[in-house]
Amino acid sequence: MRPRHLIWIRRGSQAFFLLLFLFLLIESRLPQDVILDYSLAVTSDQELAIERPVGFFFQLDPLVWLSSLLSGRHLIKGFWWAMALLVVTLFLGRVFCGFICPLGTIHHFLSFVKPALKGDRMVRANEKSPGQRIKYFLLLAVLVGAVMGTNFAGLLDPISMLFRSVALAVIPGIGAGEREVFGWMAGSNLKILNLMSYAEVLLAPVFGYAYKAFQTAWFIGLIFLVILFLNRIRPRFWCRFLCPLGALLGLFSRFTILRLEKDQERCTGCHACTRSCLGAAGPEPGKEWEGAECLMCFNCFDACPEGALAFRFRLRSPRLSKRPDMGRRAVLAGILAGISIPLLGRLDGLVHKVSDPRLIRPPGSLPEPDFLNLCQRCGLCMKVCPTNVINPTLAEAGMAGFWTPHLVMTQGYCEYTCTLCGDVCPTGAIAEFSVKDKLERPIKIGSAYIDRGRCLPWSGNGPCIVCEEHCPTSPKAIYFKKDVVAGPDDTGTQVQLPYVDLRRCVGCGICEFKCPVKGRPAIRVISAGESRSLENQILL
Amino acid sequence: MNESITRRSAIKRLLGISGTVAFSTLTGWPFRDLGDLRAETTSRRFMVEGLGRTKGYSVKELVKKVFNGAGGIARFISRGDVVAIKPNISWARSPDLAAGTNPEVLEGVIELCYEAGAKKVRIADHTIHDARRCFAITGAGSVAKKTGAELVFPRSSLMKEMKINGHRLDVWPVFIPLVEADKLINIPVAKDHGLSTLTIGIKNWIGGVGGRRYALHQDIHQTIVDLAQFFKPTLTLIDATRILVSNGPSGGSASDVMVKDTLILSDDQVAADALAAGLFGIKAEDLGFIKLGERWGLGTSDLRQLNRKKVVL
Repeated sequence: MRPRHLIWIRRGSQAFFLLLFLFLLIESRLPQDVILDYSLAVTSDQELAIERPVGFFFQLDPLVWLSSLLSGRHLIKGFWWAMALLVVTLFLGRVFCGFICPLGTIHHFLSFVKPALKGDRMVRANEKSPGQRIKYFLLLAVLVGAVMGTNFAGLLDPISMLFRSVALAVIPGIGAGEREVFGWMAGSNLKILNLMSYAEVLLAPVFGYAYKAFQTAWFIGLIFLVILFLNRIRPRFWCRFLCPLGALLGLFSRFTILRLEKDQERCTGCHACTRSCLGAAGPEPGKEWEGAECLMCFNCFDACPEGALAFRFRLRSPRLSKRPDMGRRAVLAGILAGISIPLLGRLDGLVHKVSDPRLIRPPGSLPEPDFLNLCQRCGLCMKVCPTNVINPTLAEAGMAGFWTPHLVMTQGYCEYTCTLCGDVCPTGAIAEFSVKDKLERPIKIGSAYIDRGRCLPWSGNGPCIVCEEHCPTSPKAIYFKKDVVAGPDDTGTQVQLPYVDLRRCVGCGICEFKCPVKGRPAIRVISAGESRSLENQILL
Repeated sequence: MNESITRRSAIKRLLGISGTVAFSTLTGWPFRDLGDLRAETTSRRFMVEGLGRTKGYSVKELVKKVFNGAGGIARFISRGDVVAIKPNISWARSPDLAAGTNPEVLEGVIELCYEAGAKKVRIADHTIHDARRCFAITGAGSVAKKTGAELVFPRSSLMKEMKINGHRLDVWPVFIPLVEADKLINIPVAKDHGLSTLTIGIKNWIGGVGGRRYALHQDIHQTIVDLAQFFKPTLTLIDATRILVSNGPSGGSASDVMVKDTLILSDDQVAADALAAGLFGIKAEDLGFIKLGERWGLGTSDLRQLNRKKVVL
């Protein structure tokens, strides 16, 4: 096969997987075609499930598999995809990086359309540097940390990072801009603009039907921009220096049978191969090829004008690739970091001593230590939630739980018969549950309590039963007692005073969301009483 | 008017006014009766009650029968009309839980509208739960698909501030498709409610507005009467095939539901609600919004003033 063809096959594959990734990301929502079988809807509470395999890329990701296996001793569903990928890597090297990884593709594209450097400077930049050991340091920190019981792989894993960045920052950001434009058009006096504003419905399936908000999303977006910008310093900076998944695949690529073969005789020393090398893997004849660093992009193969380089299968004379240059210091530091981060992460006491009242986990979430073992902080549950209630944490779950999901009831509420977050969670940190589980077990995510100083009837400011009206349980967890309260004029007004029955309250938060007192509502949900915890209980 | 009013001029004026009134009453009285009669024939409101008495009756058929009882759909819907339908599909609950309008009732009305030559039928409700889930689970989505009616997504750009001119509400954001229609049909379900005791037709208009509607509960009876006066539906068809008798308005359990197999069609919003209240064993005069609706001339709870009819299937 001519090298040019190989390049085009690679580009085709990269485009395909990037588009597939984005497609599955957009499809991580309530199914667009919500029109169901009529007869079904008449007889039972219908579960709205997502048909597409939206977790596919997470199942393909060996770092997700290994980290959840090491920390949670749990085999995630569909893990054989990741296993298969490791087997492929054993034989073919880091083809995932060159052909599949959607984040790698974005970096690749940026490095390609706007190369960081030119000419000789690029040749020098693409020579192997000690900085490339950082990714092994990060990989070891992540894996040792997972063994020690805090799984923070998702903070650095490329699939989790790309999903989180696009779903929580890029799409809501564009959506906000788009909604401004349509809002302006709908409010315009020109008939034509008015009519055109209806096109919003066409974009809504992608960008959502209302303003989406995710706490700390600005920070997620900023990190994403910085990582993209790093391509201006070195091509595929992220993949070369930082990516822990790339490091893992690099370690597995030692036995590859697809190898770069160099012909010293033909080489004229033009450095075209090094100039085009994205992984700084030493493609030039005279140097040793670094199989663990090679991204399998085949650029060098294509760039060599003399035909001195070729990728060939070597089945007969198997030979190990050069040992990955991890560096002793990187290994030691990685192990130390992996041990200390989980310990430091527990110092705030949020895992073992107390829990933050605002840390309301999605329904179906495992007990906190198990949850932290498995959660990849990928944002899939946050993307899929129809009410936008699931948000990344900042400090609520402590350092160890940074960016894990929690529910912000002023922003949305947990729909009583919705099961989507449990359906999509790629690692089972949110276990799968059914509507029946939610109603009958019942899954309780927290408890509501009334702030009598703020509540309109309790404070004598007038009647209001919005919390009771929206309470979804039957019988309702919010009930009234009729009473006369002293109003402002001391006239005594007849009101219905709301009370919460903790035995019935499931903590869904619709009362808090709909309460007329905004910002800090008069009825609020705290995590106390959540059914996932044995300790965090109120009642005997 | 710098001129001060003296006692004499005041008496003169008063006499003048009362004289005129007295004269006009005297001379006008033979005609007045005639005029009232004429008004009666055009403005006497009607009410048709439909009861499904046979086992396994078709709700759609009952809808059609009720409309026939009212003189046929063509009396209300003209060829080329854009019809907006306001069901109650606020909660993502299946129809058997009676938290939303029975989809078969919806389907029946939409089919009738199209038969009458309606250009377009829109189903519009500003839901409480996520609208996509409501559309799917209440069955409204499948009705729209089956009948070809348009199911309007309650997006924020469709809520526009309008002059309500009510006694309590002045300006409020309104769900526009309900206003931009030639004919408007209110199809509520009859349910229990913690604050207004019942939510039937008049209360259903809360689902026709946007904005801070949770604040409307602070003066619920007056605000919903204001909204009912603003929306002025052509017809109200109350779905009482199943009613929610406890834990309303959201319900959620089959034990909260009572089967009544009743439909009430009227052009008087107050009267329709008053009759439906009877199904719950609640007296109309105990409901604040019915009293206020009567006071402000929205309709009457005195059912004898209506042309009443009963159809049975």
